[in-house]
Amino acid sequence: MPIDIYWRIGTHGDQPSLRRRVSSRGEWAPVVPGSLTPGIRDGRRDGYSYVDHMADVARASESSGFVGGLLPSFPFTDDPWATAAALARETTTYRFMIAYQPGFLHPVQAARMSASLQRATGGRVVYNIISGGGGPAQLWWGDRVDHDDRYARTSEFLDVLKGVWNGGPFDYEGRFYRVEGAGLPEPLARQPFPEIYFSGSSKAAIEAAGRHADYYLSWLEPFPELAAKFAQVREHSAALGRAPKFAVRIDVLARETEEAAWDEIRRGWAHVDPAALRSADGDSVGWLRSQSFISWPVRDYRELEVSPNVWGGFHLLRGGPAFGLVGSYEQVAERLDELIGIGVDAFILAGVPHLEEAYRVGEEVLPLLRGHDIRQTSPLHPHTLSIAKGTI
Amino acid sequence: MTDSPDFLITVPTRGDGRDPLRRDRGDWQPAARRPLPAFVTDLRPGAFGPFEHLAQIGRAAEIAGLGGALVPFDPAGEESLVVAAGLLRQSRHLRVVAGFHPGIATPVYAAKVSASLQRFTDNRLGWQIDIDLDPAVARSQGDFLQGADRYARAEEFLTVARGVWNGEGYTYEGRFYQVLAGGFQPPNSGLPFPRVYLTGTSSDALAVSARHADVHLFTGDQDVAAGIAELGARSAEAGRKLEYGLRLPVLARDDDDEAWDEARRLWNIIGGAEDGLPDPDPRTGLWHGFARIADSATPGLVGSYETVAAGIRGYLDQGVTTFVLEARPHIEETYRLGERLLPLFAKEIEHAH
Repeated sequence: MPIDIYWRIGTHGDQPSLRRRVSSRGEWAPVVPGSLTPGIRDGRRDGYSYVDHMADVARASESSGFVGGLLPSFPFTDDPWATAAALARETTTYRFMIAYQPGFLHPVQAARMSASLQRATGGRVVYNIISGGGGPAQLWWGDRVDHDDRYARTSEFLDVLKGVWNGGPFDYEGRFYRVEGAGLPEPLARQPFPEIYFSGSSKAAIEAAGRHADYYLSWLEPFPELAAKFAQVREHSAALGRAPKFAVRIDVLARETEEAAWDEIRRGWAHVDPAALRSADGDSVGWLRSQSFISWPVRDYRELEVSPNVWGGFHLLRGGPAFGLVGSYEQVAERLDELIGIGVDAFILAGVPHLEEAYRVGEEVLPLLRGHDIRQTSPLHPHTLSIAKGTI
Repeated sequence: MTDSPDFLITVPTRGDGRDPLRRDRGDWQPAARRPLPAFVTDLRPGAFGPFEHLAQIGRAAEIAGLGGALVPFDPAGEESLVVAAGLLRQSRHLRVVAGFHPGIATPVYAAKVSASLQRFTDNRLGWQIDIDLDPAVARSQGDFLQGADRYARAEEFLTVARGVWNGEGYTYEGRFYQVLAGGFQPPNSGLPFPRVYLTGTSSDALAVSARHADVHLFTGDQDVAAGIAELGARSAEAGRKLEYGLRLPVLARDDDDEAWDEARRLWNIIGGAEDGLPDPDPRTGLWHGFARIADSATPGLVGSYETVAAGIRGYLDQGVTTFVLEARPHIEETYRLGERLLPLFAKEIEHAH
């Protein structure tokens, strides 16, 4: 079975490295010498903007072997629909994975935008549907629906979106949405329907994923916990006669040697404020879960390595989820293979800086993948094997 | 002295074609495409997507020196924000106005998407908010609001969108929308707000326009002078000054005879020969035949470049400064307007600089 490997496009600027948490690509931080601030050259506006950098990341990851890029959505980011629509015609095979929360757009409008985008891109739109907490209070977005109800709304949203997709007339009367005589016009109707990556770790999310997900998407967690979560989703889905695939969103810090990789972390750690270690907001169950995998208190960065190469401190070095992989190219590839072994069908990888790391991971890590967990086929423990390889 | 006119073209949301009824550019009417003979090499199949033609129209408008393009809200056509984003990304100067109705999104999200588009395009996005939808069309878009409520909601929509636009700490509690501790952070905050184009002649429509429109768009079948007078008074009360615009189909040629010959040719194509070619309205000079041969049902101007320019000048004298022109086929006619009609306003345009 083919494995789809996506990259991530930072919609909120980027850091030149994990060594210092300074977002000097884009305009999210004050302009200093060395800032790549698209839009300003010699103090004047030059007609470029941050989307030109995002286009570079898209082209870099497209050419280094990724099938597409996740466009995240938070209050402080650029918007994924706007980004995808602007970049639609600047890549050839690249899929745009648009993160969005149902409820911000009306489902008929979401269907219209998606169908026009499918036409603009030749069918390269993928959805990452988020229903749960995304940081600040939902009312920042002007959304009054509370956590568990948002999953019920997501179900209705997708009912309407799918209902109008193939034309009309379509009528619907739900708790959240009502339409009459709806349907996409020709030739917007019957475009390929975007694959749905569905995120969320709460009970409500896992139930909704059972109904809607093509791929159930999780942040990286320690592998046994991840496998258990997948099992839960599998069980809920089976009860509904469905069998979603599984995807994991993973930050990767890969270097030629394990030592070089950890050395990067060490340099970044020197700037971490210990007070920032435990912070959480919003109503995200995923975040609380991720913090529960760590043995507190933490004094040293290696104490956040909960299992070989699985490190839970990425959020301290850049904005985003906590867990990712740190190691040599071989080790990272082996961990990805292990994840394939526990049932992962797709990855959304990311590395800082996104442009350069797309080339590195595409060129150095992805070619090493075997597509299965080598522990199941080799008598050698993976670590023994990687050490053996390293000495050759 | 009259103000400098701003000319926009109207982007076709359901394909384009040489003649009325023909939409064989793009993929809206594949059956109307005339294939090349089998023995002629044709490299096109598979090489062109449905958005190639839209991109070509945007480039034509930019190269021909038009100030902008309107992508109307068209529930039976291409989605306007996606089209607008593409046109903006593929141009350097063109301002693009996307039409939509307030039910498509929360005002926060509409503003969020638009802030990114402003950032990506050096602030060239505009909004045309369509409030007065046909009720059946509105219901097909999931919108069951009726009558005056639609204007009340539009007012809240624009209030909230502007409220979150400029910075943090924005809270709003309205009939339709609620925001708590909202508002954008830099660099998404403090950008120029999209230019807001509104329409309509009802008292409710004019009231919203007076408070929220940057440009109020009329059509030729409306009493433009009365509308401007009314809006001038109402917007002054609100401490604002509006600009006025007109949606205007045009058919312009070297001389009047040639223009009317073309009108007659198009009229015959749609089978209108039996009713005879209608005459232009003797009072306004506007021709109502566009309702049959063009994409919109709005009356427009037919004649030589000078005749059409004189008609436009009449509106300029009344205070109309924005002209959203409509002409088919879009690429050829956009070039024509840029080369032949716009230079007749060189004096006004120079004056303004």
